[in-house]
Amino acid sequence: MDSLRVGVDIGGTFTDIVLWASNGEVIVKKVSSSVDDYARAIINGLDTVFEEYKLTASMVKQVRHGTTVASNAILERKGAKTGLIGSKGFRDVLEIRTLRMPRLYDLAWTKPPALVERFLRVTVDERVNSAGDVVKPLTVKEGERAVRKLIDEKVESIAVCLINSYANPEHEFLLKSVIERLAPDLPFSISAEVLPEIREYERTSTTTINAYVKPIVSEYLETLEAGLIASGINAELLLMQSNGGLTPVETAAELPMNIIESGPAGGVVGARLLAEKAKLGDLITFDMGGTTAKASMVERGEYARADDFEVGGGILAGSRLLTGAGYLLKTQAIDLAEVGAGGGSLISIDSGGALAVGPESAGAFPGPICYDLGGDKPTVTDANLILGYLNPHAIAGGSVKLNFEKTVTAFEQKVAAPLGLTAEQAALGARRVAASNMIRAIKAVSTERGRDPRQYTLCAFGGNGPMFASEMALELGIKKIIIPPAPGVFSAFGLLYADVEHHYSKTLRVLLREVEPELIGNAWKKMESNAADQLKRDGFEPKNQSLSRTASLHYKGQTFELTVPAESGRVDNALLYQLEQSFHSEHELVYGHRASDDEPVELVTVRLIAKGLDANGDQLTFPKYEPNNGETATSRKAYFGQSTGWQEIRVFSRSSLVKPRQGPCIIEEYDATCVVPPGSEAVLNEDGCICLIFNE
Amino acid sequence: MIEEADPVLFEIFKNSMHSIADEMALTVVRTSYSGVLRDNMDFATAFCDEEGTLVAQGLTLPGHLGSVPTALAAVMSRYQNDINEGDVFCLNDPYEGGMHLPDLFVIKPIFHEGHRVAFACVSSHHVDTGGRVPGSNAADSTEIYQEGLRIPPTKLYAEGKPNDTLFRIIEKNVRAPTLYFGDLRGQLSACHTAETQFLEVVNRYGREITMKLMRDLTDYAERVARAAISKIPDGKVSFEDWIDDDGVDHGRPIRLFVTIEKIGDTFKVDWEGTAKQVKAAINNTLSFTKAASYAAIRCILQADIPTNAGFFRCIDVSAPKGTIANMELPAPCAARGLTGFRMIDCLMGALSQLVPDRVFAASDGGNTGISVGGYDANRNPFIFVDFTCGTWGGRPWADGLDGNSNIYANMASQPVEVIEAENPLEILAYEFIKDRCGAGKFRGGAPYCREYRFTETEGVLQIRADRQRFKPYGLYGGYPGEPSVNIWDPDGNSTIMPPKFTETVKKGEIFRHEVAGAGGWGDPLERDPAAVAKDVRNEIVSRQRAFEDYGVVLQADKVDEKATQLKRAEIKRLRGWSKLPAVLREKPNIGA
Repeated sequence: MDSLRVGVDIGGTFTDIVLWASNGEVIVKKVSSSVDDYARAIINGLDTVFEEYKLTASMVKQVRHGTTVASNAILERKGAKTGLIGSKGFRDVLEIRTLRMPRLYDLAWTKPPALVERFLRVTVDERVNSAGDVVKPLTVKEGERAVRKLIDEKVESIAVCLINSYANPEHEFLLKSVIERLAPDLPFSISAEVLPEIREYERTSTTTINAYVKPIVSEYLETLEAGLIASGINAELLLMQSNGGLTPVETAAELPMNIIESGPAGGVVGARLLAEKAKLGDLITFDMGGTTAKASMVERGEYARADDFEVGGGILAGSRLLTGAGYLLKTQAIDLAEVGAGGGSLISIDSGGALAVGPESAGAFPGPICYDLGGDKPTVTDANLILGYLNPHAIAGGSVKLNFEKTVTAFEQKVAAPLGLTAEQAALGARRVAASNMIRAIKAVSTERGRDPRQYTLCAFGGNGPMFASEMALELGIKKIIIPPAPGVFSAFGLLYADVEHHYSKTLRVLLREVEPELIGNAWKKMESNAADQLKRDGFEPKNQSLSRTASLHYKGQTFELTVPAESGRVDNALLYQLEQSFHSEHELVYGHRASDDEPVELVTVRLIAKGLDANGDQLTFPKYEPNNGETATSRKAYFGQSTGWQEIRVFSRSSLVKPRQGPCIIEEYDATCVVPPGSEAVLNEDGCICLIFNE
Repeated sequence: MIEEADPVLFEIFKNSMHSIADEMALTVVRTSYSGVLRDNMDFATAFCDEEGTLVAQGLTLPGHLGSVPTALAAVMSRYQNDINEGDVFCLNDPYEGGMHLPDLFVIKPIFHEGHRVAFACVSSHHVDTGGRVPGSNAADSTEIYQEGLRIPPTKLYAEGKPNDTLFRIIEKNVRAPTLYFGDLRGQLSACHTAETQFLEVVNRYGREITMKLMRDLTDYAERVARAAISKIPDGKVSFEDWIDDDGVDHGRPIRLFVTIEKIGDTFKVDWEGTAKQVKAAINNTLSFTKAASYAAIRCILQADIPTNAGFFRCIDVSAPKGTIANMELPAPCAARGLTGFRMIDCLMGALSQLVPDRVFAASDGGNTGISVGGYDANRNPFIFVDFTCGTWGGRPWADGLDGNSNIYANMASQPVEVIEAENPLEILAYEFIKDRCGAGKFRGGAPYCREYRFTETEGVLQIRADRQRFKPYGLYGGYPGEPSVNIWDPDGNSTIMPPKFTETVKKGEIFRHEVAGAGGWGDPLERDPAAVAKDVRNEIVSRQRAFEDYGVVLQADKVDEKATQLKRAEIKRLRGWSKLPAVLREKPNIGA
């Protein structure tokens, strides 16, 4: 073993560290997060691993990192004191937002406070129209007045977003030069550089978020780099982005808006590689933890991507129809749908007599009743314990003891009796209700986008994913489930498998049949040359660079776009025709209809995804499991429904699945428990995954 | 498959019904051509049982609550024995199931093995449906025949075959057929989504069980609603408010009067005392009056109630015929949205006496409608329709929201840059205005202005606004908000315009609308001086208003505690209130 690649995923409670050695060996370490200084846990955790496994820091060639530092800064409103410069007449774009709220009939709704308070929002007298013509020139003096005002207010960062700057950025660049001159050390973000796309609120919000987290992210990354160097690690540092690609530490510091949803992306990246290596076809990923469940999709070897998302908005909304719960960020991200359901979700009976699960959660403390830490409200985890799915004594390799009797008593009294059911009937019911809530997340990424989930394999991970996978699959009519190795720390694994990735975009708004192909060609060419330069700086030779074009289009008059891939090479009428046809097909796939061929199609935005391909990608493997042909170690009683009643079922370890095992049975691991229901069969595949297949 | 207790099966079914209605709505949003649908979300999706009883409605526009049952009833009564597989019905006639002409209802019966099992329904606001003014939304039409193409319940498709006659009539009567048919395709597509998904549910559970579950779902909503209503004290309350005028009889106020009686687990809402129907197009169908009544009550019930027929069963709404709340032929109604919003203010005013701790002061009065239409040099039509509203009244526990859709809508603003890219318009301002929100312990929301410059040679500008003369009221000592303003040529001659008008507009002309400020809640003298100082710093409130309305004295940015105490005592004396007025429609005169 001569070189190591390290993946580090920081969560609110645990920091997961995964090391991959060039000889294929994999080491997993879970340590407590150090909330006051996240970098410390990483450094200390690595030191422990080095000692334990007799490794040296100098072996580490690359550190890949997923972090919630940026999203926490937003959610906890601990970002920089930021000033925002806008166009005259448009001081409140950031605060007025889209006016929409995520809840109907709710007089108690409160908007998330604007990241920049009104007194720090200033405007400049200028005007550019939608064609990009300057209607009212911006003077240097006017620019200086605005910048000075913010300097006097002692802002720590400045965002600039002017109306119609997507069509002509010259006034924004003038402000940039003024800032650089008057305050050379002040971080700033210019919308024309951050997101040169139409729609002022989306652009303002995105630019502001970037400015708001920039100082905090830079500082964190500097601390981390210094810490790594101090402990002898002189390695390349790469950050996971929301879009599933990695970015070098320098660009992450410059465009921190790209690493906001860094955390959950890792798991989907891992799933994508798994799908490719193990030839699993198209996947729906299902990542369930203690408080939330997230779904996404891997299709034809690619993630589904969303063009925007709301930071902190996913759980609150409950439906994709309702927006406004969080902070809007228009950057490409892995399309994750999230619902507030997890092991800690509370079970209750509502005023209409229906069994309800969540969205309230018992949280880490007091947690479920069975943890015996003072929690007295039944949770989903308690239901799993009652049903015999969870080990009745302890979980996490014995480190968390469970109180079975207390749980049953409380559950009977609070849930079962009022419904006139036995504890196990009510527990099974609660599981199904929890599943039906979480199905909203899966539907959001599948049926709502015209995809039929039955044609996909469900890839389940996260602490509770394997526990619920079968319930979800049954409800959706999915026939096959994959549980990857080390499902509880799978997001950290995913980091090891990602490519470096940069995204570029430019709004054009042209009719495909009227535009000079060259105009589009030049836009792509410019992006491609920028991308090639960037990748070269990142250390990728041209042969390891992959550039792919996409375009966002709609029927003229429509206001929502669909993004489709475009051919590389010279842009001519044939290529544009191809693009138009792809759009028609995608529209039909997603919405069930297409307009007639003579209906004009408008190209709104051209995009480019640039990847630096991992030279060692082919050698990457998943953790190996020593085959174990031994029969079951234990057995216990579990309940799967009235027709079968309580039955004695066997409990296996993952490695004993080299032989197919018929359900009902349970597979227990250090970091997760997998339920194999009646009518299904579980077996280990070559890549160490559990395959759970429902019998026809 | 499912063998466990009913509450479980039921909850799962409930989730799937809501998700069907929401998915229908997403389909409309994503395929829509017009900003009115995508951004203003002026549409509704619904799912009904085989008899047309509303089972689930998508989370779109509260103003459409209760619109669907009326439309379904009209189809059922006309086509009772002639509803076949492959049929699609449509209608927009407010006198036979509709709400106003721009809202086209598309209704598709769903069949399973030859049996009718459900109806999917989508009503969408189309940007133009013909008539005398582009946008088909004019407030100053005086009979329905001026408002556009009127479609009674009709088959758009009969057993899968399109009704060419109807399609061609529509094509010849609307100003922008491409837009119209584009948005209509979205409606059809949403019905198709519902059909596919619902049939999966039927196949899974079986027809009998599915039908029973749909009935259970309405019963459930009724149970939850009745439980929540029971917790509210019994009582009979009433409230009065006025609409400025109808835009034809200028300056003649229109009275709204509502009486709400809460008995046990039911509500009675009666609009007796409300003005006779008016000449101009702000008359309501009874269904729209019901929608407002349902929505207001829904806002004060602290429960997660599914939106379906079960909820409506707990509320009895009545309005005398021939009033603005229940119009008769030939009353026009295109701009009736305004009356719905104002009814919400009126209902909330009444409810504030029943549950003072749950109701906010008057918001901005609802959205202002702005339409610009005409033809460019090549005689291609352009039509721009925008609805804008955005302040909430002060609440018993918090300030009113600044820049948030009215509770009766959930409309987004259309992006300025998209408006400019697609229409002959430039938006010159869209930002908060100082000193317009009603003072209060919890102040009303700050309103904004929106300024439009016209860039085509000539067009027709049509405005539907209100709350110019009758300000948004304050509650329990809170002051009213400042009125709305319409200004023509704000930087030049600056002519103040009436609340509703239709005018020719020429290149370069500017129109500015200022939304009304929302009313405050509670005595402004009880407002935390630090909160006042913050509003001053953010230029939402001036120093002068801080001093006169709140009695807060500021030295630089800091509160002068002592001077503030003195000033507050003085205001208290001058005001001479023995107790806090429940409703304030004008600021107290303290001779400042």
